Amino acid sequence: MTDDEIDRILASGHDDILPTSGFVESVMEAVRDEALRPPPIPFPWKRALPGLAAAGVALVWVLVVGITQLGPAAEAPQLTLRLPSALAPILDAAAWTVAALLLTLASVKLSMRFVTRRT
Amino acid sequence: MSAAEDQADVERVLSGDISAFEGIVRRWQSPLVNLAYRFCRDRGRAEDMAQEAFLRAYRFLDKWRRDAAFSPWLFALAANLYRSELRRIPVGTVSIDEVAEPKDPGAPDGGLEQEDRDRAVRGAVFALPPKYREALILFYFHDMDIPAAARSLGLPEGTLKARLFRGRDMLRRKLARVLGAPRLEEVQ
Repeated sequence: MTDDEIDRILASGHDDILPTSGFVESVMEAVRDEALRPPPIPFPWKRALPGLAAAGVALVWVLVVGITQLGPAAEAPQLTLRLPSALAPILDAAAWTVAALLLTLASVKLSMRFVTRRT
Repeated sequence: MSAAEDQADVERVLSGDISAFEGIVRRWQSPLVNLAYRFCRDRGRAEDMAQEAFLRAYRFLDKWRRDAAFSPWLFALAANLYRSELRRIPVGTVSIDEVAEPKDPGAPDGGLEQEDRDRAVRGAVFALPPKYREALILFYFHDMDIPAAARSLGLPEGTLKARLFRGRDMLRRKLARVLGAPRLEEVQ
C-alpha cells in the first residue's frame, strides 16, 4: 500500500457526519448556563500573605531549632533513656499538635467570616 | 467561512451579547464535531466533546489573539481537549491484526473490496499509538496542511513530519498482512 493510497483513503472524508439538529441549541443552552454562573472567587492573596509569611518564618524557626537540638542529642544519646527525658518529646509533640489545631480553628473562623461578609 | 464574521461575533460576545456566540457555533459545528468523530468514532461522544470544546472556547474567548485567525485557535483548543479527553477515557481500540479480515485471502486483491480496504485503513489508524494516531488525524483533517496540523497539535513541523512518516510506515507494514503482500512488494 502506497502513501498515495493512504492519503486518498484518509483524506476522502467519506465517513464525515452531520451534527444532530439540536446541537446548536444544546451548546447555546450550556453557554447561557455558563454565563449565568457566578465567577469563581479569586484566592485572597493579599489577606493570605501575612499568614503565609508567618508560616514560612515558623518553618525556618522549627528547622533551626531541630538542627541545633539534633547535635547535642547525637553526642549524648544515653540521656533519652531517663523517664523525664522520654516524656519530653511526647509533651513537645502534644504542644505542637494543640498549636496546629488552634491555628486551623483560627483560619477556619477567619475564612468563614470573610465568606459571610462577602455574601 | 468568513474571518470577519468570526471577529465580529467574538467582539459582540466579549461586549456582553451572548447570543452572538450562536453564529460561531453554527459556522464551526460541523468541523468540530467531525474532528471529534475522527478522534473517537462515536457520534454521541463526538457531539459531547464538541460541545465541551465550544464551551471552553466561550470561557477563553478573551485569550484569542486578534492578530491570528480564529479557526486555528479554535482547532488547537478543540484538539487539545479531545486528546486529553481520550487519554482520560480511551476509545475501545482493537489490535491492528483484528481490523479487517479478507473475505478470500487467496484472491488477487487479498479478498477485500474497495470499501473494505478503506474501512480497514481507517480502522487501522485507531490501532496506532496515540501520538501517531493524533498526528495522522489532524494532518488529514487539515487537508494535509502540515503547518495547520502542527499548530493544532502544538508541535514543531519537523516533529509532526517525523510522526507522520512513522505512523504511515506502521500502517503500511501492519496493513500489508490484511491487504495482501503483493501490493507491499509493488511499493518496495
